[in-house]
Amino acid sequence: MDRRDFLKIMGSGFASIAGADLLIPKRPLASTPGTEFYGILVDTTRCIGCRRCELGCAEVNGLPLPDISESTNQTVLKTPRKTTDRQYTIINKYETSEGPIYVPKRCMHCNQPGCVAACPVKAMRKREQGHVTWDVNCIGCRLCMISCPFDIPKHEYSKAFPRIQKCNLCWDRFNQGQLPGCVEVCPTQALMFGTRRQILEEGKRRIAANPGKYVDHIYGEYEVGGTSHLYLSAVPFEQIGFRNDLGTVPYPEYSTGFLYAVPFIFVLWPIAMLGMNRGTKKENGEEKEEHHGEETDKGKH
Amino acid sequence: MRRTVLFLIIGVIYLILIAAGLGMVYTAGEPVPAKEREIAKPDNKISIAHAEIFGKLERPQVIFDHKKHEEAAKSEGCGTCHPVNDKKKLLFSFPKDVKGKDKEAVMRAYHDACIGCHKQKRIEHKKSGPLVCGDCHQDKYTLVKPISYPVVEFDFERHDKHVKKLKETLGKDTCRQCHHTYSFEEKKLVYKEKTEESCYYCHDLDKKRGPEVAAIIKVSAEKGLSMQNASHQECLNCHLEIRKKKGEKEAGPTECMKCHTGKYKTTAELEKIPRPDRGQKEKSYIYVENAKLKGVSFNHQTHQKYSKTCMACHHETLKACKECHSLTGKPEGKNVNIAKAYHDMFSEHSCAGCHSKQTAKKECAGCHHNIVAMDLETMSPRKDTCALCHTGKEPLPMPAPLSTSGLKQDKIKEVTVKVLEKEYEPAKFPHLDIVNKLAKISNDSRLATYFHRNIQTLCEGCHHRSPVTTEAEKNTPPYCRNCHMIVYDKEDLNAIRLLTAYHNQCMGCHDEMKIKKGNSMVFVEGGRCAVCHKKKKAGPAELTTVKNQRVYNQNKKIILNRWRPD
Amino acid sequence: MAGEKLETVAVAAEKAESPKIKSFGDFIDFLKKELKPEGSIATPFNIISLPIMLLGYVFIVLRLASGLGKPITNLSQQYPWGLWIGFDVVTGVAFAGGAYVLCFIVYILRAEKYHPIIRATVLNGFLAYLFYAGAIVLDIGRWWNIYNPMVGNNFGVNAVMFLVAWHFFLYMLAELVEFSPAIAEWLGARKARKILGAMTLGAVIFGITLSTLHQSGLGALMMMAKSKIHPLWYTEFIPILYFVSSIFAGLSLVIFEGSISHKVFAYQLDEHHKEQYNDILVGLSRICAVVMFGYFFLKILLVVHGHAVKYINTPMGYWWLLEMIGFVLVPCFAFLRGAQREDTALIKFAAIITMIGIILNRLNYTFIAYNWYVPLSEKYWPTPIELTVTASIILTEIWVFRWMVRRMPVLREPPAWAKAMGHD
Repeated sequence: MDRRDFLKIMGSGFASIAGADLLIPKRPLASTPGTEFYGILVDTTRCIGCRRCELGCAEVNGLPLPDISESTNQTVLKTPRKTTDRQYTIINKYETSEGPIYVPKRCMHCNQPGCVAACPVKAMRKREQGHVTWDVNCIGCRLCMISCPFDIPKHEYSKAFPRIQKCNLCWDRFNQGQLPGCVEVCPTQALMFGTRRQILEEGKRRIAANPGKYVDHIYGEYEVGGTSHLYLSAVPFEQIGFRNDLGTVPYPEYSTGFLYAVPFIFVLWPIAMLGMNRGTKKENGEEKEEHHGEETDKGKH
Repeated sequence: MRRTVLFLIIGVIYLILIAAGLGMVYTAGEPVPAKEREIAKPDNKISIAHAEIFGKLERPQVIFDHKKHEEAAKSEGCGTCHPVNDKKKLLFSFPKDVKGKDKEAVMRAYHDACIGCHKQKRIEHKKSGPLVCGDCHQDKYTLVKPISYPVVEFDFERHDKHVKKLKETLGKDTCRQCHHTYSFEEKKLVYKEKTEESCYYCHDLDKKRGPEVAAIIKVSAEKGLSMQNASHQECLNCHLEIRKKKGEKEAGPTECMKCHTGKYKTTAELEKIPRPDRGQKEKSYIYVENAKLKGVSFNHQTHQKYSKTCMACHHETLKACKECHSLTGKPEGKNVNIAKAYHDMFSEHSCAGCHSKQTAKKECAGCHHNIVAMDLETMSPRKDTCALCHTGKEPLPMPAPLSTSGLKQDKIKEVTVKVLEKEYEPAKFPHLDIVNKLAKISNDSRLATYFHRNIQTLCEGCHHRSPVTTEAEKNTPPYCRNCHMIVYDKEDLNAIRLLTAYHNQCMGCHDEMKIKKGNSMVFVEGGRCAVCHKKKKAGPAELTTVKNQRVYNQNKKIILNRWRPD
Repeated sequence: MAGEKLETVAVAAEKAESPKIKSFGDFIDFLKKELKPEGSIATPFNIISLPIMLLGYVFIVLRLASGLGKPITNLSQQYPWGLWIGFDVVTGVAFAGGAYVLCFIVYILRAEKYHPIIRATVLNGFLAYLFYAGAIVLDIGRWWNIYNPMVGNNFGVNAVMFLVAWHFFLYMLAELVEFSPAIAEWLGARKARKILGAMTLGAVIFGITLSTLHQSGLGALMMMAKSKIHPLWYTEFIPILYFVSSIFAGLSLVIFEGSISHKVFAYQLDEHHKEQYNDILVGLSRICAVVMFGYFFLKILLVVHGHAVKYINTPMGYWWLLEMIGFVLVPCFAFLRGAQREDTALIKFAAIITMIGIILNRLNYTFIAYNWYVPLSEKYWPTPIELTVTASIILTEIWVFRWMVRRMPVLREPPAWAKAMGHD
């Protein structure tokens, strides 16, 4: 065989190994091939607070199933809750000027997640398809919890071998061509799954086609640099538990200033210090020895 | 030694500061904004705040007890405080002379008038009011919302009462007593018969009107004759005169809360009241020369009953629409052409807009919130609707009331939805009852009856996107699953799947019609789901079968409890 | 008294020949001898510290067995970092900053005045990193994966924590190299001593570079908590604030710890050293005063620049004022006055106040001004277990420090043969 054939075989061999390694979805859900971010459009005007999304999520992730009977819901929904290390998504009820509004809360799967930028071992990763997932090489430093503007990652404090728990947009199911568990069971299709482009388009279409029904703002379009979970609402977002002071700067950019300075300091500091050391050197080290001699004398009193 | 003691003392002080600081910081939480209170019973008192002049107040507002002052100045009369115009009519503004419109001038005028009078009374050894700042600008009124009285609706009933009363006492020339218009030539108010209009046209200073009326509004504004001032001047002067002549019982109210009741009549209550006679025709034929569609036969008399004021339609002036809105638009009509004037879907003054608003009522919204009269993307109307109005000189006859007697009763009595049966029992849907109810609602409304000309129109409310006539001919019922896939369409993830179709359509109707049972937002005893379908006792607990295997395996080890649905 | 006895021991050690270690067996024997306690064990300090330390070790085992939940720690989803990371790691590292500052002064700027305390400071720094940065192992949830940032192919190179982890590790090595001449002298390893002495400058330069980056890096960790830290503390220049404050934090610890060791180990010091110590204190306090003033001014500038002045008139603002005025400005002037009048008592007092201020500052960023708007019921308090473990770690470090200072030429003069080599 000649060199060209050999290289071809080796190249294709490596490529196939690498390709099998990557978790490429077998059947993309939308007709668009290639890699786009996927996300969920949450239409809070459609949510009826039945909490079946919580049940579906718990089922597909092996978590304890929440009690979602209507009588329990009335008590549970009285005060806004947070996601926990046992519940990746929860519904909160807010009394607003338009009556009660139910809002699902879960990981926003930001375009540029703060948690991913904070993780020293790449346990938090943003996959090519937009899912932000956690992996077991995590060291449990909990910097992701500090860096998340939405306070989503939850640490299992009660366990000796804790993990970080949060929604991962059903990454495993996605790779088998399935929809996320919450989307599959929602009876009113308040959750729409699709590529970020598709759901953004749909969000804008709904706002335009229903004048006066929605507030003209899609939460997550630009917040913290854009997220893959987009929300539509009939009332201003502060009334339904969203922070409007998070800005549009992607969170990793807050630490890039420091990180960009690192190479400079690494190069310039040693040079400067070496220079100063050489610059302050006394002639041929004589004085230094003398000084030592003095000391020795004094020490021998 | 002394120094050590000093250091120790300072050290202890530091520790105390840290402890106190931590305590303060840990209980700081988020600052709670002070809530604004409202005065529950204004009791005819008046707020002097003038936010439009002073902006954010330095001192609290003054709550002014007018009745007390009325009593005190009884002998001197209203003219002590209120200015009188050249026609000896009281102008209900205060203070009497304000030298300028800025903050200083207004404040000075108030202080001169109020404190001046109080000082005078004190000199005369009579009971007097406060002289010190804090006694008028009381602290307890800081976070209190300024008192505002609800708008007075001078509805047709009141107007009719006045007309009858004046006819009784004066016999003729009754309209002249209140109605007037402004003549630019004579530079004064004049009265022209058969041109009586609402005060709002010229005295609502906030509204932007056409050039003719805007000129008059300018004059009103110059004279400070806002709706408030003009109506107080007009009404109160007359009532006070009558009170003087004939005593309190005969006269109209002179106390704030007697007119500003906050109670308003509904359109239904005003239906029987005769409308003011301005020589309006019973019916009119609206047409445009060389128009594409036939003209519209418009029954003005019946339409009069459907609104509380004439201004609902005659929004600028009490003339016919055509006079300002021409085919291509005139400046008088703000260049709004006649097509838009009659057909604007979102305007309250146009025919189509008002009809559209009626369909938003809760009896109609169940079906109508989904039906677009106009396709928003192509902006073209539904052709079958046009012909219902554009009928030519004669309107279409009112159709017979809708009834389900002509339909195949047995087939549409009850529908059992069991195609998605899994966790819940099949849902039994009382189809015929619902159609009957909708027919009744339609028959109760003239508008609905006229437009829903046959029972098949009602089917469209739920069986949307399905040609009515074809469905009626076919022998098979129009199943929702014919269009809505049972599972998600992976190619179009926005498409409504069958589960969603049933839930959103059914619950959507109940929501819009504000029906408690089956409503998506109202918790009922036994749960919302059970209203339509009860949960199965035994049955699959699993909603989904494919798991997030890796995460699932990790989590399964730590399951604390599993809740089994009953 | 015990002091006299020790004095003779020390003089004897001076006079004695360096240990001859030819084999591993020799080394073990030597170590066993060195590990025997000198003097009485039942000193007041020992009696108080030993139970705490043992209790701490028990709690550490408990923590490893049952995780970070209650009642071991009060950490919660709202407050993921508490006393262990906030105090042990972050504050401990800030205090260890004395090492790199002093190395810079002595080795780069060649201010020989401070030479006598350099070894003690470097030893302190090394032990601080070993124990406090080592306390990280205790605090991270999945401690068995601690090597992951070092080993493997999953380097989160865009993470500040990655940088901090590597720097801690490398800095520990650099400090070890800097201190190793003392160990070589203790073991009598002349050849090693020569080589290690030559490496000192390199290790120092490397160490200072690393220090600059990880002291500011600890601050950069909080950069992404913008929405949670109170505006009076949060700025884009937190790393610089951390770096600048680590300078006077470290020097304050040097003053504080130096005062204690110079009293406890006074028998090891020669006259020259004792005379110089006053000068050293005055010099250090001058440096602290200047840097603290700069830091104060920098903070004011950043608060004004960040439009946060309006927050000063709030409860959090008063707390900020306490930190700034009470714990930065007041000690700054105390240092200045102490330096002017050569008043060592005032200098030591100022050092203590500064240290408390640094603790407050670092804890502010960790759980006081972090999520400051959370209601009281969800706030974080350290549990008794956390406090005990922290105390235990500090005390263990002191014990190790004490042992090393007793045995190795840290405070006392190095043996003659080492001095002859130069480089120390």
